[in-house]
Amino acid sequence: MHPREGWSEGGIRRRPEPDEGDAISRRQLLGAGAGVALGALLAGCGSSGGTGGTGGAGGGAGGATSSSGAASMSGGIPLARPNTPVKWPIYSSNKPIASGLKPEQNATLQIYNWVAYINEAVIKNFCKKYNCKYQLTTFNTMSEAMAKLGTGQLKFDVFIPTIDVLGPLVESKLIRPLNQSYIPNIANAWPDYRNPFYDQGWQYTTPYSIYTTGMAWRKDKVNLAPSWNMPWEGAKYKGKVALLDDYREGISLALLRDGKLDLNTTDPAQIQAAGSALAQLSSVNIRIDNNDYTDVPTGKTWIHHAWSGDMAASYQYLPKGTPIDVLGYWTPPDKKAPVNNDLMVNLTGGANPVLAHLFINYMLDVHNAIENYTYVGYMQPLTAVTAPRLIKEKLLPPQLSSTVVLPSYFREGLLELELPESANLAWEDTWNKFSKGL
Amino acid sequence: MRGSSRTDHRRGRLLWIGLAAPGAIWLLVLFVLPFYAMLSVAGGGINAFFQTSVPIWNPLHWSTANLSMVWSNIVGSGAFIGPAMLRTLIYTGIAALLSLAIAYPVAYFVSRYAGRRKALYLVLLIAPFWVSYMMRMLAWIDLLQQGGFFNKALSSVGLPGNTDWLGGKSVTVILGLVYGYIPYLILVLYAGLDRIDGSLLDAARDLGLSRWRTFWRVTVPLSKPTIIAGTFITVLPMIGDYYTNQLMSAAPGTTMIGNVIEGQLEAAGQTGQGAVLSLMLLIVLLIPMIYYVISTARASREYA
Amino acid sequence: MASVIGEPVSAPAAGAVIERRRRPLGNPWRRPWGLEGFTVLYIAWSILPIAVAVLFSFNKGASQATWQGFSTKWYVGGWIQSVANNPELHQAVIQTLRLAGLTTVICVPIGVAFAIGIDRWRGRTSGGLNIVMIFSFVIPELLLAVALFMLVTQLLTFIALGTTAEVAGLVVWNLSWPAIIVRARLVTIGKTYEEAAADLGASQLGAIRRVLMPMLMPAIFASTVLVFASTIDDFVIVEQVSSTAATQPMSVLIYSNVHGGLQGPALNALATIMLFFSLVVAVIGYVAYRWMTRGERKAGATEALTSIAGM
Repeated sequence: MHPREGWSEGGIRRRPEPDEGDAISRRQLLGAGAGVALGALLAGCGSSGGTGGTGGAGGGAGGATSSSGAASMSGGIPLARPNTPVKWPIYSSNKPIASGLKPEQNATLQIYNWVAYINEAVIKNFCKKYNCKYQLTTFNTMSEAMAKLGTGQLKFDVFIPTIDVLGPLVESKLIRPLNQSYIPNIANAWPDYRNPFYDQGWQYTTPYSIYTTGMAWRKDKVNLAPSWNMPWEGAKYKGKVALLDDYREGISLALLRDGKLDLNTTDPAQIQAAGSALAQLSSVNIRIDNNDYTDVPTGKTWIHHAWSGDMAASYQYLPKGTPIDVLGYWTPPDKKAPVNNDLMVNLTGGANPVLAHLFINYMLDVHNAIENYTYVGYMQPLTAVTAPRLIKEKLLPPQLSSTVVLPSYFREGLLELELPESANLAWEDTWNKFSKGL
Repeated sequence: MRGSSRTDHRRGRLLWIGLAAPGAIWLLVLFVLPFYAMLSVAGGGINAFFQTSVPIWNPLHWSTANLSMVWSNIVGSGAFIGPAMLRTLIYTGIAALLSLAIAYPVAYFVSRYAGRRKALYLVLLIAPFWVSYMMRMLAWIDLLQQGGFFNKALSSVGLPGNTDWLGGKSVTVILGLVYGYIPYLILVLYAGLDRIDGSLLDAARDLGLSRWRTFWRVTVPLSKPTIIAGTFITVLPMIGDYYTNQLMSAAPGTTMIGNVIEGQLEAAGQTGQGAVLSLMLLIVLLIPMIYYVISTARASREYA
Repeated sequence: MASVIGEPVSAPAAGAVIERRRRPLGNPWRRPWGLEGFTVLYIAWSILPIAVAVLFSFNKGASQATWQGFSTKWYVGGWIQSVANNPELHQAVIQTLRLAGLTTVICVPIGVAFAIGIDRWRGRTSGGLNIVMIFSFVIPELLLAVALFMLVTQLLTFIALGTTAEVAGLVVWNLSWPAIIVRARLVTIGKTYEEAAADLGASQLGAIRRVLMPMLMPAIFASTVLVFASTIDDFVIVEQVSSTAATQPMSVLIYSNVHGGLQGPALNALATIMLFFSLVVAVIGYVAYRWMTRGERKAGATEALTSIAGM
């Protein structure tokens, strides 16, 4: 009922994607010494590394020039890509917990998650089963979450990050390797997730959700064939067109429209061209928000760059009397669309590692995953959760079956992954120029 | 005034310092020091690991990288902050004038003519104070929807009732600003107008001035300091506002300087630039602030 | 606020403070119906949207634009999203009151003492402190909030994120209310009364306590109520320096759930509860003012109202 993406608001924008703020260059990391305690890193990066980083950000084009392209970094752990999978080290000072431990007693399980991205009824059931309390704390952007976790002051057990912050999380030892013996339910997940390229051997992570990006539109108001070009064709629908408030998604949209399929590009010319394409949208009074799932059904927006999970829940926001048929969600049938998934991890700061493991396992249970789906709209990549099943159980109207993500998407879709630092800054800079200054 | 208090004053000095000390310490540690932290961020760099900013505490080592980048975003070829700055000026200017045009008559009426109903009017003027700003904006978002009450009201009086008020319109943003900040202005104006000595107005009337002339020649000049103060108090937060236009429009075509700052503070690796821009804004705002301080000081000197 | 500037109009003699509100009872001029109509229109414009928002907290459905029947299900009852049934909302209500209470209790005494101190202790230092205080009033809140976050996470790490940092920030953000309002009042009062008390043999502290404090009461009331109301409403600082859900007050919860998460009427219900708390404080302030000024000739409803609105 409540998809993760909601209100986009000054100061607390939510971005579920590989989030701004979190692309880390491993080269910089190794320069500072991998595995060094976080505090030392924060102190040690002072002027030299820092200023160099800032220097790379200058103007869209200028900043990007300094990024020399390739996704893999010389001499270090490469940035995770499907063709360069990453197996994270297990540090001697940060080992998995022992097997067969009893869950903590009288404990309060601390969960750190995106706003409205989990069904609390599921947590309640978990707590009933294991006789614990829980506290759910939410964040709005991955930057915010990482900044707060980086202070070392927050003691959470379970955290739901995006893929692209995995590097910093592992290497600063903020997350603990999983003891897989507690998580038999991994067998329910798509086979790919037993050995994902971003965490070979799923040593640190299990998947939480998977979703595509596409275009949502009102079939009763808009007379256009769905495509990435819809916003640019929206002259007739001035004021009724909106993009997602996410720098990766926004620029990726412009890249896709121009047929560029590398959504992790470091080419300054491409990034700049995407920025120019976005700038053309001022003529349709483009808006930027993450309210796709409320604004399309209520008719505030007719063409919305959208996430599948949001649109899966959107029909619940239709005013009385409006048929579901008016809602459309399109993502390219050839799967050349942004596809992303979020993770569940166990934070080292938490006091209840056993409960954390049990909780991660609990969320991978098919029944619980479906109960969670009814609330958030984002599906978990479990083999038993299929479009026919969701439709049959009346959890998803057939009109919105295009929101269902198939296992093949994870292999064939376009993942928005961690960028080298300077390229990331160029992406952000270009997006800010469009979204804040137009 | 008598001057006999000089010795008392000296004796009391310690007492005054003691009274001021807790507040002074609080201000220095939690206001001045963070401000210095802001400067250190503006002159600092980035933690390559988390892409969070790393302040440089020693002013001698401050880097100008952020400053030059912000500068190039204001005046350079790829400049993008200019339009937002211009909009900030236009929006706050119009909103301030509109607020004044609405607030002054209301405050004037309630302070001078409300009579027995004054208490009731005051309750109603104060009421919006007690509702959270954001909730008041949301109330308008509901009303301004295309099928909402506002459009229905328009069409019921024969006006076009299908306007998409929330589709990135400047006028909606300005309305939001006026609605959001006008209660403060009205209360300030009311306080000032209510303080004007009624006998002055009676005197003006006794001297044969008409109602309008009394208003223009006595009331308005006497309330000028109040008008200026009230305008500051509404304009300064409007300039730093970033959520009103986000709520009422969310279009890049209506962003203000606050949105640019907020965007930079949020974006990884650009916190330093956000700090620079914030400090620039603060320096611009210093002009009215200093004027405010000086006029306060002058006023207390004149009447002490 | 404006009283800092507005005050001199009536300041020529300290006695004017007592006299200033004396005005002919009957209005010598005819009632300006045009102005009154305009005022009524303004009030309707300012209050109707709020009334609609409160109304929709009692909506049976989830819509905030279409009325689907009366219900209190967003407040109480088994409905999972009702305020009563949702621990997240409970926590937020408690945290809001905790922050408002702590901030007010710390901020007002410090601010009042600060105002008296810098007003009487004339010198470069006090002048400088006054300027710093006014700076703290006009600085954009986002800027202060981010700076505070950096301060407490990088420099003064003994100030823990969460309630401690929130209260520390809220106190400094709201310190200017009592400081400016009380100081304006002090400028009006002048020193005549204290000097008279001193001539009659009162000690300096005694003069403050017995003479000055009663005269400052309206200003202190005003700032107490304003600090409380402004803390309840605060979101930017609190959002930055909060830590777990238990330290997030209603404003943050509402803000991060608007259009998402909790459904609309649940937010309206939460806002209505906030409104209720604010009104309770306002009424307490009003009644307390009437009680404290009982027996005084001119203490009336208008006086009490203006005092609790910081005017």
